[in-house]
Amino acid sequence: MSFPPSVKRNMWGMEFPSPLMLASGTAGFGRELLNLGCLEGVGAVVSKAVTLKPREGNPPPRVQETAYGLLNSIGLANPGVEAVLDQLLPQVSDLPCPLLINVAGETADEYPAVVELLDSSSVPMGYEINVSCPNVASGGRAFGVEPSVVETVSSMVARVTEKPFTVKLTPNGGDMVEAALAAESGGASAVTVCNTFLGMHIDWRTGKTVIKRKVAGYTSPALLPLVVASVWKVASEVSIPVISSGGVSSGEDVLELLAAGAEMVQVGTRLMRRPWAAGELMAEIEDLLTT
Amino acid sequence: MKQPPSVDCACQVLSSREILPGVFSVHLQLPPGSPAPHPGQFVQVEPSRGVFPVTRRPFTVNSFRSGVLEIVFDVVGRGTALMASIEAGFEMRILGPLGKGWDMSGDGPWILIGGGLGAAGFQFLLDTVECSGVVLGARSASRLVPLKTRCPVITATEDGSSGTRGLITSILGEDVLEGAGHIALCGPLAMMDAVWKALPPELRSIVQVSTESRMGCGWGVCEGCSIPVHPGGYMKCCTDGPVFRGEVIDWDRWKEAGV
Repeated sequence: MSFPPSVKRNMWGMEFPSPLMLASGTAGFGRELLNLGCLEGVGAVVSKAVTLKPREGNPPPRVQETAYGLLNSIGLANPGVEAVLDQLLPQVSDLPCPLLINVAGETADEYPAVVELLDSSSVPMGYEINVSCPNVASGGRAFGVEPSVVETVSSMVARVTEKPFTVKLTPNGGDMVEAALAAESGGASAVTVCNTFLGMHIDWRTGKTVIKRKVAGYTSPALLPLVVASVWKVASEVSIPVISSGGVSSGEDVLELLAAGAEMVQVGTRLMRRPWAAGELMAEIEDLLTT
Repeated sequence: MKQPPSVDCACQVLSSREILPGVFSVHLQLPPGSPAPHPGQFVQVEPSRGVFPVTRRPFTVNSFRSGVLEIVFDVVGRGTALMASIEAGFEMRILGPLGKGWDMSGDGPWILIGGGLGAAGFQFLLDTVECSGVVLGARSASRLVPLKTRCPVITATEDGSSGTRGLITSILGEDVLEGAGHIALCGPLAMMDAVWKALPPELRSIVQVSTESRMGCGWGVCEGCSIPVHPGGYMKCCTDGPVFRGEVIDWDRWKEAGV
């Protein structure tokens, strides 16, 4: 790699309009951002998680901001794969950038089942397999903490689709390098490093948490060094592309993640405040690279 | 670089006043050509130019007149403390107007029932519709938002510092509600739930409720601001609301969940 890194990105045999992807759960399926006029600078949109059956999600409150980041406990709320195919995908056939569908499951079988159904649509260019969800067969431990399970899920998905897919790994338990190598040998086209970190906020006055499930997914610009380290470790070991996810709030952050070995960089929580963050980051990067 | 979407703009702060202890009213000058809000809609405010807080703060449009938008907020945490420190002459960035406001369809005058600071957003409604009565409840007079209106206002305070001593439900007699074509309800969840349950069932079909929720985005994607609805599941406060028909809300589940 040469430094500073180039923002021209070639992955899966195609040139993406930018190295930035919108992280799952922060961009819907892209329709709202398209309506707001905020897809400039976006290399790809990753949809919110889709499951086999509809999921109404966790009881509110589902989000809580802490001093330096955001806790979320959405619970994979989504209308289920059939409604996604019938109602949501037709609304985003005119996205100006590729769409990856994030897929979640309660059992290993559900991943290939959802992917196979989605494969009947030409709208998604590929998939992101979310292995951070609890595996019912493993007593609720995340799929992603067991490399053999990651390999199994990856190979099951690889058997049902010709489209590329990335496996979104969890930073919560397990060895991410082992999990990434397992995804690669299962046939994954990339790995996403990483998902939200488990976090919790307790009101010390009452001992209570705002979020009903107590423990939630934590995102924050302050997590950047953790993501950089994980991306660097994983990218040093696998030969498939690594897509970073987490910690980005500036153009410098994006370039740092590319320098760590990320092929593409996801932006998520930043969109909550600035829906047009991708365009803003790309303009910042252009300035950084030309001055 | 392309301009941010027209719904996002930097507004000059014309004034920032502490109207009640810890409660601020901020008047913002919208840039020319900004879309005009509808009563009941909200804006997402960026409390600082720095990285934190990572989300905006949602506020109902309290009033709107000739391009000047007013928000009223209580200092409850870091975000609102930052907002309270922004003085006249400086800028505040807002995204909006967002969400669905009050449904004006149908005949008859409005009766507004508000709890504490929840009544602040009523000013815009009072300036827009024909209203026959305002019913306000609060812990004490120091939490009663001043409203400019010619229609009768009755109040109840828990400490008796203004109007009747007691809860708002104690002054919701049939005489107060008579002739209403619309009932608007806004306030803390426990107060709204009590009012909803105290209202004569035959009036429930004309009740609209301005909800609030902790929000991530405010524009419909993160699913953070869910409101429990009938016959099950959730709707989004930000894009399905924040104003809902009272009958749509599953009050028991909402009260159990909290905000």
